Amino acid sequence: MNIFTIIIGAVFVNNFILVKFLGICPFLGVSKKTDSALGMGVAVIFVMTLASLITYVLDKWLLSAYGLEFLQTIVFIFVIAALVQIVEMIIKKISPTLYNALGVYLPLITTNCAILGVALLLVTGEVYGVMINNLFEAVLYGLFAGVGFTLALFLMSGLRQKVDSLPLPKVLKGFPITLITASLMAMAFAVFA
Amino acid sequence: MNCFLLASSVNWTTVWIALAIMFGVSIVFALLITVISKVFAVKTDTRVEEITSLLPNANCGGCGYPGCAGLAQAIVDGKAPIDACAQCVKANRIKIANIMGVSFEGGEETIAVVHCTGGIKCEDKYEYNGYGDCKSQSIMSGGRKMCEVGCMGVGSCVDACPYYAVEVKEGVAVVDQSLCVSCGNCILACPKKIIERIPKSAKIYIGCSSRCKGKDVTLMCKSGCIGCGICQRTCKHDAIHLQNNVPVIDYSKCIGCKECMAKCPRHVIRELK
Repeated sequence: MNIFTIIIGAVFVNNFILVKFLGICPFLGVSKKTDSALGMGVAVIFVMTLASLITYVLDKWLLSAYGLEFLQTIVFIFVIAALVQIVEMIIKKISPTLYNALGVYLPLITTNCAILGVALLLVTGEVYGVMINNLFEAVLYGLFAGVGFTLALFLMSGLRQKVDSLPLPKVLKGFPITLITASLMAMAFAVFA
Repeated sequence: MNCFLLASSVNWTTVWIALAIMFGVSIVFALLITVISKVFAVKTDTRVEEITSLLPNANCGGCGYPGCAGLAQAIVDGKAPIDACAQCVKANRIKIANIMGVSFEGGEETIAVVHCTGGIKCEDKYEYNGYGDCKSQSIMSGGRKMCEVGCMGVGSCVDACPYYAVEVKEGVAVVDQSLCVSCGNCILACPKKIIERIPKSAKIYIGCSSRCKGKDVTLMCKSGCIGCGICQRTCKHDAIHLQNNVPVIDYSKCIGCKECMAKCPRHVIRELK
């Protein structure tokens, strides 16, 4: 039952972008094309899952065990930065097309607050009312928070392709209408809460 | 005094443990990244970086590739010619040709000019009240102007120019030659195709593209070429010829004496500043 709560909670109820407003930068930056939005989403899922795993283990065995909770932020940033570096190298080798499509946003995952947010929330044992009891649940939450992130990005990219081709007044063209679209999506997601 | 108190209250054991943990974590990740960078090393062509450093790096997009690095990749792949970047200086083009191992046959530096001087002197067909964009207007029965190849003065080229070199004066687009680097963005933006590149050394250019007969031109535009041919007869150097009722200058023969400019009854031949 708890697994079901985690999945629904991470993807819909507490969607990191549309409900908690974390990770807005890639949400607005990489959502122009569906292809690159999905690529970014997959990269975030990958980094988020790995980051939840490694940070949870590090916290339980090292930091909390020795009472060094104050080190959490800096160690987690460190872990995420290293992970992004690794992911970048792997993607560059395996899929240069995806690497070019992601462009500057791949290194920007380093400072994506959604990932640091997930890592920092998971080690407290409770994420927005959902209890995290063990490593499996922590990794599961990380994975589905990434899925929620990808879902938001994917929906946004689809909407944006429609919106960008509308005959809009010049003041609304481009970024303003994107922000309005984002706010409407956030209102729609508020229904789940 | 405060400093001493602070220093004595620090729990040094905790500090050492914290340092040890950070050190340990960084060593582990450093090793991991080193190993992975060796395993997943991608062989990149060093020529791409060299050519990128020789290009202007303005990333204007005039060549049609995504930025200067994109063009450098295309040159290395053989998809783009050596002189695909119009604003690249000659010395750098020769260096690029050397990197690619091919000979370079010149290719003169160019600038863009608008082959129209009509503007407010050209009659309107109708009043346009639509979206302010040259393409949108040209869809409506070829634009607002009576002349099919007349500048509508809406200024899509002004928006396209990343160097602020184009402006609309008296209803017609004018390129400021001191700012133009011949990137080609305005040429791509103009739906009438009346912006063209000419050699930078040129002294004069033709300010009209109309191929209509003289009588039709006089009805439409006070500044259009009527195809009288005086310029062709005046030129002693065989450099200017009427083609389809509009003069064309052969810049390899033109010496810039400007005699045709003085004789032109419609002041279509203009001086480059």
